[in-house]
Order: sequence, then structure tokens, then C-alpha cells
Amino acid sequence: MVVLMTLLRLTALAALLFQLGGAQAPAASAGLQAEKVAVRIIAERFEFRPASITVPLGARIEFTLVSEDTLHGFRIIGGDVDVEIPKRGRGKTVVSFTPTAAGEFTFECSRVCGAGHGFMRGTVKVTPKKVTP
Amino acid sequence: MITQKIKRLAFKTVALALGLALFLPGRAYAQSQATPPANPTQVATTQPPPAAGGLSGYMELHLTRPIERDRDPVLDLHRFVLLFTHQFSPRLRFVGELEVEHALVEGLTDAGELEVEQAYIDVLVRPWLNFRAGMMLVPIGIINERHEPPTFHGVERPLLDTVIIPSTWFDVGGGIHGRVGAWRYRYFLMAPLDSERFSAEEGLRGSLQKGSRAVVRDVAQTGRVEYLGVPGATIGASFWKGGSSVALRRFHTSTAVIEADGRVTRGPFEVRAQYAHVFIDGAGDINDSLARTTGVDPNVARQLRGFYIEGAVRRPVGAEHEVALFARFENVDTQFRMPAGWSPLPEFDRTVWTVGATYYLDPDVALKFDFTRTANRSLFRPLDRTLNFGLGWWF
Repeated sequence: MVVLMTLLRLTALAALLFQLGGAQAPAASAGLQAEKVAVRIIAERFEFRPASITVPLGARIEFTLVSEDTLHGFRIIGGDVDVEIPKRGRGKTVVSFTPTAAGEFTFECSRVCGAGHGFMRGTVKVTPKKVTP
Repeated sequence: MITQKIKRLAFKTVALALGLALFLPGRAYAQSQATPPANPTQVATTQPPPAAGGLSGYMELHLTRPIERDRDPVLDLHRFVLLFTHQFSPRLRFVGELEVEHALVEGLTDAGELEVEQAYIDVLVRPWLNFRAGMMLVPIGIINERHEPPTFHGVERPLLDTVIIPSTWFDVGGGIHGRVGAWRYRYFLMAPLDSERFSAEEGLRGSLQKGSRAVVRDVAQTGRVEYLGVPGATIGASFWKGGSSVALRRFHTSTAVIEADGRVTRGPFEVRAQYAHVFIDGAGDINDSLARTTGVDPNVARQLRGFYIEGAVRRPVGAEHEVALFARFENVDTQFRMPAGWSPLPEFDRTVWTVGATYYLDPDVALKFDFTRTANRSLFRPLDRTLNFGLGWWF
């Protein structure tokens, strides 16, 4: 009987620990998901909105790019991203970019879109990871 | 005197900065690359080469049909514009824009114009500091820098952007531009206006030197600040200031323009508004001098002003088309304040209503229709009404 009660207690404790562990699991998962940063950018003559993005080092940025007017381009100088953003109402472009070092990256429209095309730029600022003591 | 010194100093500073920038971009780029790149392997192997360049452009075909029968309907290929670009490196690029107006260019006639509207080199150093030199658009108002046909409603540009802000307003010069947070700015030194060619009816329109052997005894300053921090909204303010005694050397005349504008898009609704005010210092001297030398008094005002407000609603039609209905009200007075001894003519205080539709066959192809009613306070011809049809496209 004592053994049975002990087993029940152990089972209950295990269940409790499992529950606690289970409760922590999503947190860990959320931690992993935090590595992905979703950024939606709207392109319109002659600006990106937002044009300034800050992400922590190690994050994978998933850009969703939408145009409000004509065909635009999205190129990250110093990165390997150079894609077209379809015209208004013609869909979107999703592209990922994973900076591996802190610093500042410039992105720009890479498809001539009008007289003010040269103004169409923005920045991705990659901040160093916080060191946990 | 002090102002002149400041101008000279500013000119030298910008010239020096431009000079340095032409040598610095390689270093600046190298510095930015000094931090390890995003993904070294990707950068080393798959970074796309700089675009070699491209050809783009836009065109506008207009049919103007006056309601009053004493004027003929006119069909006009108003603008045929080609844009050329070349990217020497990610931070050094050329942009050129060549425009033919009214399809035909003949010497010494009013048939049309062939113009180099843009031909500049951009040196892109930092997001907050870039340099530009060459033939450039004046950064003033909504339309002057953003005038591709699908970007505005109405077959013709607003009257304000014709006589108060003489779009397309361009000239030679150099300066800086950039972005700080949600703010964007440009500041240029440019060739000045020629006050001898101001007029009562068309304001500043005829006074551009257009980079053609431009006299730069005076240097004009121009700048614009835009706030882009509110989603769907752009709020801007611009100015132009400079001497304008190009042909009239004996007088020191100067011209200043201040302007404010806003554009807001919320769902299907679009609203834009703009106000511009011109101050001409020495307008009386201009009138006196031209009356003596040509026999015609141009009756130039010392202040001109105009404003408009426009509302539109844009809805999809089927899967790929869209239609926008719009209405615009504007008031333009090119004789808002006259110099002492001159009186304003009532015909130059004009109120314009424009209502119509823009049908987008494609986001880059706009079929336009509008009815324009221009009223003034003269007794001779107080009303002009036109039906306008337009086809404009960008590629």
C-alpha cells in the first residue's frame, strides 16, 4: 500500500514536473521563434515604410514586401537579397535575410520606379546580442 | 552682405564636401564592410553585381475639349520621357531624364521642348548623408518630384503646380540629402531663377534657366523636409530662396518660395493638400525696367500664392483593374499682392474645380477623364470649362 501510494505520489510529481516542463516548452519554442523577426515593408514611390529596422544579432528577418503602386526592387547592399516587389494588387514577395554580424545594412529599390527612385532607401540595424551574466 | 558671405561659405562647404565625397565613397563603403558581412559565404559568392543600368519612362497623351465653342479641341502627346540609369557601384549612380514636350521640337517656335530634366550623380555615403550634383529636380511640393502619370489624378497637373511651382522645375546644382529616423531631407544649391521672365499670368513658369549656360552670379538655396512617421501619410515642407537678377543686372531682385503639403491614404480614401506662397523682392523694379526696355509692363506681383485640396476614393474593378473618383479644388492668384503703384488684374485670381476619374488598366497605365472649370473675376472671360481625356503610362 505504501509502495502504491509512493508510486502515485511519484506519478503525480512526475505529472506535475511534466506539466511544468510542458509549460516551459512553449517558452523555449517562443525563444526559438524570437530568432525569426517578421517585417512587413510597404514600397511606394519613393519610400519604404518602415525604412529603419532594428534587429538583434542572430535573428532571421523575414521580409514581406508589398507595393502600393509600381514594380519596385528590394536589394540589401552587402547581403545576398535582390528581389522584385510585384505591382500593387499583384501579390507580395517574401524573402529572408540572416545577418551574422552586428552593423548596419542599407537596402534600396533596385528597379527604377520614377524620378525620385534614388531616394528610395532604408537601413537594417543589427544590434549585438545581450550577454546574460 | 552677411547673407552673401553665408551663401559663399555654404557654397564652398558643399563644394568641398562634394569633392571629398567623390573620393571618399570607396573608403566609406569599405568601412561599412569592415564589420563582417551578413553572411560571408553568401556575400562572397552570390551577391548580385551592381545593376548595369536600365531604361524606363513615361508618356502622357491628352485630349482637351473646351465646352465653349470658340476654342478648338486639341490632341497632344504632352510628354514623352525616358529615364536612364547607370550604377557604377552600389554607392555611385547616375540618373538621367530626357523629355520631349508636345511631341515636336522646332527652333524658335512654341511647338515643343526637348529638355534634359535630370542628369545627376548620386554619391551614397550614409543613410543620413548623401551627395548629389548635376541637373536635378527642385525638391519642392508634391508633383515636382513625383509626377509619373499614374501618381496623380487629373489629366493636367494642378494649376498651382504650373504657375506657382513651375513643375517640372529643374536646374543645375549640387547638395545633400538623406534620412534621419522618420525624417527625410534634401538641401541643394542651384542656379537661380531669371526674374526678367516672370509674368503676370504664368508666374514663375518661364523663369527657369534649365541648366543651359545658367548664370550663377546669384546662387539659390532650396530644401525640403518630409515626415514619414505616420503610416500612409507624408507631410512635407519646402523652400526656395535666391537672387534672381540674371538679365536685370542693375537691380538686386530675389525670389523666395515657401510651401507645405500633405498626402494621406487610408484604405480606399486618398487626400492631398498643398499650399505655396511666392515672394518677389524688387517686383516694381522688374516692371519698371521691362516697361522701359520692351514697352510692355509685365505687371509682376510681389506675392503670388495658391493652394489646393483633393479627395479621392479608389476601388478595385474585377481582379486587375481599379478606378478612382476624385475632386480637386484650388485657388491660384498670381497677383496676390502688387508692388506699390501697380494694381492686380482680376483675371489672375483663378479658382479651379476639377472632378473626374482615373481608371487603372494596370497600376502603371492610367486612363483619365475630368471636367475642369476655371473661374476668375474678370468681366471679359470669367469662365473656362474643358473636358479632358488622358492616357498616361509608366514602364
